[in-house]
Amino acid sequence: MKRFTKTLAVTALSLSTALTAMPAAAETLTFVSWMKGEPGYGDWWNEVIAKFEAEHEGVNVEMTKVARAEYADTMFTMFAGGNPPDIVHLAAFEYQPFADEGWMEPLDAYIARDGKDLAGWAGQGTCEWEGQTACIMLLYTAYVMAYNEKLLAEAGITEPPSDWASYLAAAQAATKDTDGDGTIDQYGVGVASTGGANMMHDILHYVLDAGGAWTVDGKPAFDSPGVIEGLERFKTLYAEGLTPRDLGAGDMRQLMKEGRLAIRLDGPWIWNIVQGAEPEILADLKLAPSPFDPPVGGTSNVIGMPSDISDERKELVWDFIQTATSQEMQQRFATLGSSPAPMPGLDYAAEAASNPYFTLFAESNERAAAAGVDRLPKGLEIEFNEVTKLLFREAQRMLIEDLSAEEAAKNIQDAVLKIAG
Amino acid sequence: MIDFSSPRHRSKFGYLLLAPAVLLMALIIIYPILLSVDISMKDVRIARIGKAEPWTLKNYAWLFGSEEFWNAIWVTAKMVLMVGGTALVIGLATAILVNQRFKGRSLARLFVALPWAVPEVVATVIWAWMLDSSFGVINWALLKSGIISEGIQFASNATASFYSVCFVMIWKGYPLVSIMLLAGLQSIPQEQYQAAEVDGAGVWQRFFYITIPNLMPVIGVTMVITTLWVFRDFAIIHVLTQGGPIGATTTLSILTFEQSFSFFRMGQGAAVGVVTMIICAVISRALVSRFANSVH
Repeated sequence: MKRFTKTLAVTALSLSTALTAMPAAAETLTFVSWMKGEPGYGDWWNEVIAKFEAEHEGVNVEMTKVARAEYADTMFTMFAGGNPPDIVHLAAFEYQPFADEGWMEPLDAYIARDGKDLAGWAGQGTCEWEGQTACIMLLYTAYVMAYNEKLLAEAGITEPPSDWASYLAAAQAATKDTDGDGTIDQYGVGVASTGGANMMHDILHYVLDAGGAWTVDGKPAFDSPGVIEGLERFKTLYAEGLTPRDLGAGDMRQLMKEGRLAIRLDGPWIWNIVQGAEPEILADLKLAPSPFDPPVGGTSNVIGMPSDISDERKELVWDFIQTATSQEMQQRFATLGSSPAPMPGLDYAAEAASNPYFTLFAESNERAAAAGVDRLPKGLEIEFNEVTKLLFREAQRMLIEDLSAEEAAKNIQDAVLKIAG
Repeated sequence: MIDFSSPRHRSKFGYLLLAPAVLLMALIIIYPILLSVDISMKDVRIARIGKAEPWTLKNYAWLFGSEEFWNAIWVTAKMVLMVGGTALVIGLATAILVNQRFKGRSLARLFVALPWAVPEVVATVIWAWMLDSSFGVINWALLKSGIISEGIQFASNATASFYSVCFVMIWKGYPLVSIMLLAGLQSIPQEQYQAAEVDGAGVWQRFFYITIPNLMPVIGVTMVITTLWVFRDFAIIHVLTQGGPIGATTTLSILTFEQSFSFFRMGQGAAVGVVTMIICAVISRALVSRFANSVH
């Protein structure tokens, strides 16, 4: 018994000594993002995290993926439950309700203290909420046209479309039943039609090209001639069966990869996504400027910090933001993300040399920015989710009940005015 | 010291023993209900516990003046009748079938119960793929067999969407009805059937005068469970149609979610939830009373 007691005492002493000798528990910053694992942007985040952790010994960043479809709900639940992630990553069109609730820490004091220069930072104006800087813009980008050269050539289209008429003609020519089973299995264009922001952005191509905009001077303009024309074009593509029905943007990208879609208007991320296609299909996938003028473009996603965490953690999060927005990481952003970074004055010579479409992305950005295009309808930021839902509902009503584009536009305008007051 | 063994204090001891369970139930069941009522009486987009807000009936005024709410009531009622009625018929038919003695009965019982065993989200995602308008196997099979000449737009045709949601709900819900009715069938004394046969009663007479009356209490409970399930089911509709198109499948549960977590109008969402709860309570009470009375 005496021996047992002695052994126990020695074990306890050894254990306590060992525990004392261990370093203090590592601090962990939580970070939720829909980009984890994505080719390009996901790789960039991994590099940002690795650099930050290397510069902050004992601090880990725990990145968790939440699917884009459930992202806003999940983030709201986390914030409302008093358990926000330390690093706040949100889409540029969805951060406003968070800022409006006072959940986002204003970054002005940190920016001023560290002398961070945001002059010329692309899309940064969208991060201003009620006179304060609620976030830092991570991406301002414009849409380009991805097309399958072989499918278009087989349809007798030798040049990528450059306006609405040639776009429609190409869509009509490339939509086919390739195996003769009576079912269309190859589509001319891919327009998202399952609702949500992607569908709204997809319709915006036609609206902008027709000279319209969702809002004018912050006021809803859904019944303006440009929007009516845009809805008419959307209806034409859908009614003629030139786009797969009831599929989202992700499904369209997958069809592009599988060689069953001839044209898809999308952000520069499409280039990284289609790299997963089979080599024989990838060889036919090309990019070109959007056939529409101006191209859809705008702010994409932002980074910020919650107001509900300790000052010590805020300092760490600010360091993380500084790392992500440093010149070195912005340059890497351009390389890995295949799109110009928001930081001005970067040298893209290496990116342009290694990526055949980098210049196209930069030029498209300039076109969209010069036209003052933003996918987010100004003045409807807080009601954005409702507006996308209303637009989806009334676009569906237009197709199901065969309403005219004028009627659909009026319905949308009335509904938006009702919720926006 | 209280002497709990004395007749005077014996009941107090019982209450004391029950207290932890009652408190736990209050915490788990009553507190969230009270919280929902509280949120529904506040004009808030984002509800925050502990934050004082003045009470108002604004959300209820919105609710009763809103086309979406009345549409959701109508859609829910249609769905309850369609799913509840069809699941009862199929459930009863399959229960009677697997209650017979035949070779392979165990296997048949397994197949009847299978849809119930599959997790709801998994089953719904599989159905969503099969019902896909452009590439789904159901459209392909219907086209191949010549039943239809043009693919059905399951997600963008209001009627097709409603019936496809009902179909998946019936597929998922009838096994429970079947299992419960099978248990009810097995509890009917065989002597009643034997006596009826001696008296010359036919198959249908035995069915209507012995089987159905004996099953009434089970049918009552099953209908309550099925009705409440249709009222609160969210996953099937959300995955298949998200309440669309043009509100054709927007039930009260979808409307609650939409207001609370898509539009972040949690006050309005809570108001829909509270009204749904009241409707469910009234229906449950009415169904239970109706079927309980029919037994006596």
